Amino acid sequence: MKVHYYKFLMLFFFTCSMSFAQENSISGTVSDDKGLPLPGVNVLIENTNRGTQTDFDGVYTISASRGAVISFSYVGFETKKIVVGDNTAVNVKLIASSSELEEVVVTAYGVSKRSNITSAISTVGSQDLQDFVPSTSIDNILQGQAAGVQVTASNGRPGNTAFVQIRGVGSLNASTTPLYVIDGVPIPITDNTANNNFNPLAGLNPNDIESMSVLKDAASASKYGSRGANGVILITTKKGKRGDAKIRFISSYGFGERIPDSFDLMNASQKLEIERQYAGLGIGAATKLPGAVSTPEELQTLIGLDTNWEEELLRTSVIQSNSLSISGADERLSYFLSLGYDKNTGVIDRIDGFERITARLNTSYQAKDWLGIDANVSYARSATDLPRDRNNVQNPFRALYSYNPYEPLFSRDAQGNVLLDTKGNPVFNPTSTSFPIARALLTEQESSRNLLVIGNVAANITLSDKFSNRFAIGLVSNRFNRTSRSLQGGVLDGFVGDKNFPGTQTENYALDFEYNVSNLFSYNDTFNDVHNLSASFLLEYNENIRTDLFADARGFPSAEIPYLDVSAEATNAGSDEDRRILFSQALFLDYDYDGKYIASASIRRDGSTKFGPENKYGTFASGSLAWNIAKESFMDDSFFSDLKLRASYGTSGNQNIPDFQFVELLGFNSTYNGRTTGSSLNAPNPLIQWESQAILDIGVEFAFFNNRLSGVVDYFKKNSKDLLLNRPISYTAGDEDNAIFQNIGEVENRGVEISLNADVIRTEDFRLSLGGNITLLDTEVKKLINGQDIVRGTFGNIILREGQEINSFYLVEYAGVNPDNGAPQYVDLDGNITETYSDSFQKIQEGKSPIADVEGGFYTSVKYKGFGLRGDFVYRSGNYILNRQRAAGEAIGNIDSNLYTSAFNYWKQPGDTGVLPSPRFQDTADQAATTRFLEKGDFIRLRTLTFDYNMPRKFLDAIKLESLRLFVTGQNIWTLTDYQGDPEIGIGSAESGEQGDPGFVPGEFSLFSYPQTRSYTFGIEVGF
Amino acid sequence: MNNKIYIVIILFFSLGFLACDDELNDLQPFTEGSPQTFFNTPETFQIGVDGVYRQLWLYYSNPDSGLQGIPDIISDNVIQAQTGRNSNDDYHDLRYVASTLGAIPLYYSEAYEAINGANLIIGQIDNIDGESQQDNILGQALAARAWAHFDLARIYGPIPTQSSDANSALGVTYIKVEDGDSGDPYAQPARETIASNYLEIIDDLERAALLIDKDNIEGRLNKNGVYALLSRVYLYNGEYQKSIDAANKVTAGLATASELPDVYTDVTNAGVIIELSINTSSEARGNSVGVLYSQSSRGITTSEYVLDFDFFNSIDANDARKDVLQFVGTNKGNDYNAIKKFLGEPGQVNGKVDVKVLRAAEVLLNKAEAQFELGQEGAALTTLNLLRQERYSSFVAGTETGTALEDAIQFERRVELACEGHRFFDIKRRGESIERNPTRGDLIDGTGTTPVAPILAAGDFRFQFPIPTAEINANPTVAGQQNPGY
Repeated sequence: MKVHYYKFLMLFFFTCSMSFAQENSISGTVSDDKGLPLPGVNVLIENTNRGTQTDFDGVYTISASRGAVISFSYVGFETKKIVVGDNTAVNVKLIASSSELEEVVVTAYGVSKRSNITSAISTVGSQDLQDFVPSTSIDNILQGQAAGVQVTASNGRPGNTAFVQIRGVGSLNASTTPLYVIDGVPIPITDNTANNNFNPLAGLNPNDIESMSVLKDAASASKYGSRGANGVILITTKKGKRGDAKIRFISSYGFGERIPDSFDLMNASQKLEIERQYAGLGIGAATKLPGAVSTPEELQTLIGLDTNWEEELLRTSVIQSNSLSISGADERLSYFLSLGYDKNTGVIDRIDGFERITARLNTSYQAKDWLGIDANVSYARSATDLPRDRNNVQNPFRALYSYNPYEPLFSRDAQGNVLLDTKGNPVFNPTSTSFPIARALLTEQESSRNLLVIGNVAANITLSDKFSNRFAIGLVSNRFNRTSRSLQGGVLDGFVGDKNFPGTQTENYALDFEYNVSNLFSYNDTFNDVHNLSASFLLEYNENIRTDLFADARGFPSAEIPYLDVSAEATNAGSDEDRRILFSQALFLDYDYDGKYIASASIRRDGSTKFGPENKYGTFASGSLAWNIAKESFMDDSFFSDLKLRASYGTSGNQNIPDFQFVELLGFNSTYNGRTTGSSLNAPNPLIQWESQAILDIGVEFAFFNNRLSGVVDYFKKNSKDLLLNRPISYTAGDEDNAIFQNIGEVENRGVEISLNADVIRTEDFRLSLGGNITLLDTEVKKLINGQDIVRGTFGNIILREGQEINSFYLVEYAGVNPDNGAPQYVDLDGNITETYSDSFQKIQEGKSPIADVEGGFYTSVKYKGFGLRGDFVYRSGNYILNRQRAAGEAIGNIDSNLYTSAFNYWKQPGDTGVLPSPRFQDTADQAATTRFLEKGDFIRLRTLTFDYNMPRKFLDAIKLESLRLFVTGQNIWTLTDYQGDPEIGIGSAESGEQGDPGFVPGEFSLFSYPQTRSYTFGIEVGF
Repeated sequence: MNNKIYIVIILFFSLGFLACDDELNDLQPFTEGSPQTFFNTPETFQIGVDGVYRQLWLYYSNPDSGLQGIPDIISDNVIQAQTGRNSNDDYHDLRYVASTLGAIPLYYSEAYEAINGANLIIGQIDNIDGESQQDNILGQALAARAWAHFDLARIYGPIPTQSSDANSALGVTYIKVEDGDSGDPYAQPARETIASNYLEIIDDLERAALLIDKDNIEGRLNKNGVYALLSRVYLYNGEYQKSIDAANKVTAGLATASELPDVYTDVTNAGVIIELSINTSSEARGNSVGVLYSQSSRGITTSEYVLDFDFFNSIDANDARKDVLQFVGTNKGNDYNAIKKFLGEPGQVNGKVDVKVLRAAEVLLNKAEAQFELGQEGAALTTLNLLRQERYSSFVAGTETGTALEDAIQFERRVELACEGHRFFDIKRRGESIERNPTRGDLIDGTGTTPVAPILAAGDFRFQFPIPTAEINANPTVAGQQNPGY
């Protein structure tokens, strides 16, 4: 095949550059039957590969010789053909087509007309995606775009992916990530292990995406069987369209910064003052701090050193994106070639952020009348620096809150001059924490690089007009390489390095390889013109192989040579392999009666290596019905342009747990005193079996007034049974992580999704559209083993209890400060208010969980002539977040670190109310796991605001361009929330708890993870 | 075209797919073994035993919470240096509760992992029935199981000699494979009494002593180690004659005054009877036990904990241990009595050294104390003088009697074993109070910040650590058995 690519490619460039014969330039406007211009109409010259599209004003220009036939085609309209005569101005009016008034939607294992779909599918098209391009990961782009799809950025680290949950918490297991399928290739995402996590989504160029379909209910997700339980997101990349080669270049450049906090940190004089106050109250730790012991002159000196640590440690990030694509097609061959470059330096000064180069070639070739071949290949190389994300000052985002403002970045001598080292460089101040984070960012380096290749080849064989077959092979291969270094003479090398072997370095190398072979044999038939029947039989074999290798070495001659070859000795090395196999057989049946009454059914049997011999296979089935009421004759004169009722019910499965949980394993990967050790790794559960989900969905789709107003309403009830959870067990079992993967019970997620879109104003020059979606979600734990509560969460502050909301908070209730003495008060288990604190007072906070009750997004788009303004908002309500970051900022014990200014507001005299506890009650006051720090997470955020200008045809012709668009985009530029801090939280503190760690619950608490950023981007998009 | 050909091709592909059951069933773990089949030779059993030692090492050497240091940090040998990171301040300031992270969940978790490992060995020892190493391996596993339970019992429960009701108080769950205690991951066992715990600990150790080899390589238990541990356990259990008898079976000699400094840089193992060892090359990224007390870099020592002023100044200038224990650590212009025992191997300050769990000096001190408790004051004095003559440069045999002798034994114990994880238990088991001088600060001259919580009165509930919250949450049986006060 490879050789052929080159031929094809050469062919393309030939055809592109050829043919400028004696032809006339034909131009005109394409409009609909009401005279409104239609942008994006395909204008093709028959029997050639030349073509164009109308611009935003509906204007086109094309070269054609006399007698040529130009065809005008547009989704939802009848195609019109015009023979070129003498007239070079050809205006065309297209008539709305009744039969084709619908888009084609990418569905499970195929495509379908929207009206024939019996299941709940949300789609996001390329036009919607265009306004979100500055986001480097595609899952982040989905936020607020589709009803029922909850997207929360993991954190603000550039290149990081997002938590995507479809219709609530379908699985309690750390992994609620849906299945992503790119051009038919299921993408392996491993986020259920502590060390081997793999998520290739960050390697996709959003500019390559044509559309995303989100499969939400059983009728469609069930077709993916065991992997469909968290929903499925189908990503379709762009294909060449008939006509001349189109070259599109997009370039943008922008800046980002940390979203400012809604509260203030103390400055030097405030911090010194609170130290003085605390010392006055007899707080031991305060009595020797500068605020307590300094002379007035010394205080003035310290105040003069006032340092804003955010300015010292963070910077304005630079965000760059460039993308070039060349695409086109003739009768037999279509191609789409793209290159992309993205860079986001991140907001941490002194290290690099995220950088990615992508390339893609999508082709399809009609080799024979009966044989079509699709071949897509994409390549991405990304590199990212990995700062520490933990709850201490090794994390710059903790440091900027913790470092005292009177301690400057560089050390000073007695005279107040900056100290210089022997090379004349200023010496970083170790500060009272003894850890100079700015220097550590330079000497403790960690970065990773990924080389991702995704490819698929498919042969579509038409056996007869009734039988067809598609054979496809998909490959995902990622080479991961991580380098961690502690430079000689660096911060950690000084503390824990070996004097005889300065400097350490670890290299990790992993190859994730997955292949997927599938064969879909299909039968399509129509009886009596009205009975349409299709059936497909699927076989799929999927194997995932990961191999990895690491080496540890120490003793480097120079910090400049980051290779193990020069190290004095290797101290450790290792290699490992993991495999998992999934084998599936499925049957899909679809029937419709004249497009009015539609029924579908599917059954799939999956075998997985994740389960023991007794439970290897799971069977999943679904059935669905739909009624296109609008197609009934009695609806002919109604104002409905579309009205459809549909219902579906079915099951799907989840097997997303680590391998080999059903057998006991003995691990050998640690040594003791240089000798091999064997230790039990897990308590086995031989009975572990498939988690399954049954989803009921009832929906209505409607459109009024010639599709000017359209919407979808869905009710869903999702029951997840045999939930897989790494359930905490008694420590006395001696298990490595004190938890066992088990089928622990049942949860229910039910709710309503509504999405609406309206073209409010639609005139020749002016358009106003509005749209939005809302999801109302209720969750409930239905059943647990023996009815026994399960306490989870990174710090044990989340509980599962029958009859209660999933992941309810489990905290000690705070009862405010006793106005008489300033003591913090809590509610004990008998409901009495007491000044003592005990962990045993923990109780469920009913109805309060990190899960939002209401969630969604809405947008407004205004277009006037070539100008456009679009604002996309996301909102969330009803979730709670434990603000551990505030607990740290107000902790009495943190008097040696900087504090929030709110810490001044403590109890001072009898009668004070609405105050923080008196510092004299440090023991009982410094308790973070209490309702004192539980805050509502409600917010509305202006996710993106894009202002753009599309140059009209008349100017474009003058500068010989097909299209020109200029745009400015702001991201996260406005947020409304009462939460003290940024409310968009996925990971609270990665090294305390992240995907794959036992008990991890996204959005549970905030604790100095990489914060969200806001950005401003300027760009240009040129087509020629 | 001829459709049939393609249908045949498709059927061919399909049939290929149908034969996938073997692929699914045959997949085996790549780098892991099975604990049910792996142990079948003395060599493989020893790998399992080394895994148990590693689990013990994990909680003794943990740089944040190691059992080598926490018992000193809670009690009166050290005081928090204000220029450190404030690590373990909840422990030093006696504020710990069931949800406090660090030592409380660490010991509970890792000790039971060690016990689980030991039970895997003990339960399958018949696989090497008759092999020459069988007894030595079983002996190590039994002793390690007792050791881990002993740590749990003395941390989370009272010590028998601590108070009259200690023996009837709750200890921990003793997990023995022979009794069918292990193997059910869903078990939610109850805590057992201290009396029952000590019975089982002693039983395991007595069995081990008869089985284990006289000599094993560095880092593994041997006969001396088991008897040394027995001398300690019997002392804790108030069985003084048995403590003396066990001590008498220990053949290892004391480190001399001149050897002593080299003991702490791992140049010699003189006088070390039980240690948890680290190979600083292959475990270069392993735990730095010394980080509990201090970290040094570029001539600056960031101490977390430094020697208590009164304690350090009570050590005689002629005492060889004074220099072994202390150096002047400087940080931010302040001088401290920094702790020297864990700086590292010669020339290093990385804190990576072997964990000294039990030394010959302790055996002598156990014996002296037991003799004193039995009223054998003369013998006790003789035993004590054996130690003192190896420690004081101008040694004059002591002549104390009565309380003075008792104090002298405890003083030598405190100095000899300082910062090695003993002090809290020694105060606890004797039913005494922790008393820091409330007027002395952290700096080298006794000024600076004074202790936040100078007193822990005898009988205070905090002498028993709380059962960690995670265990309370996962095990409803234990939820009703939390230690009083928490």
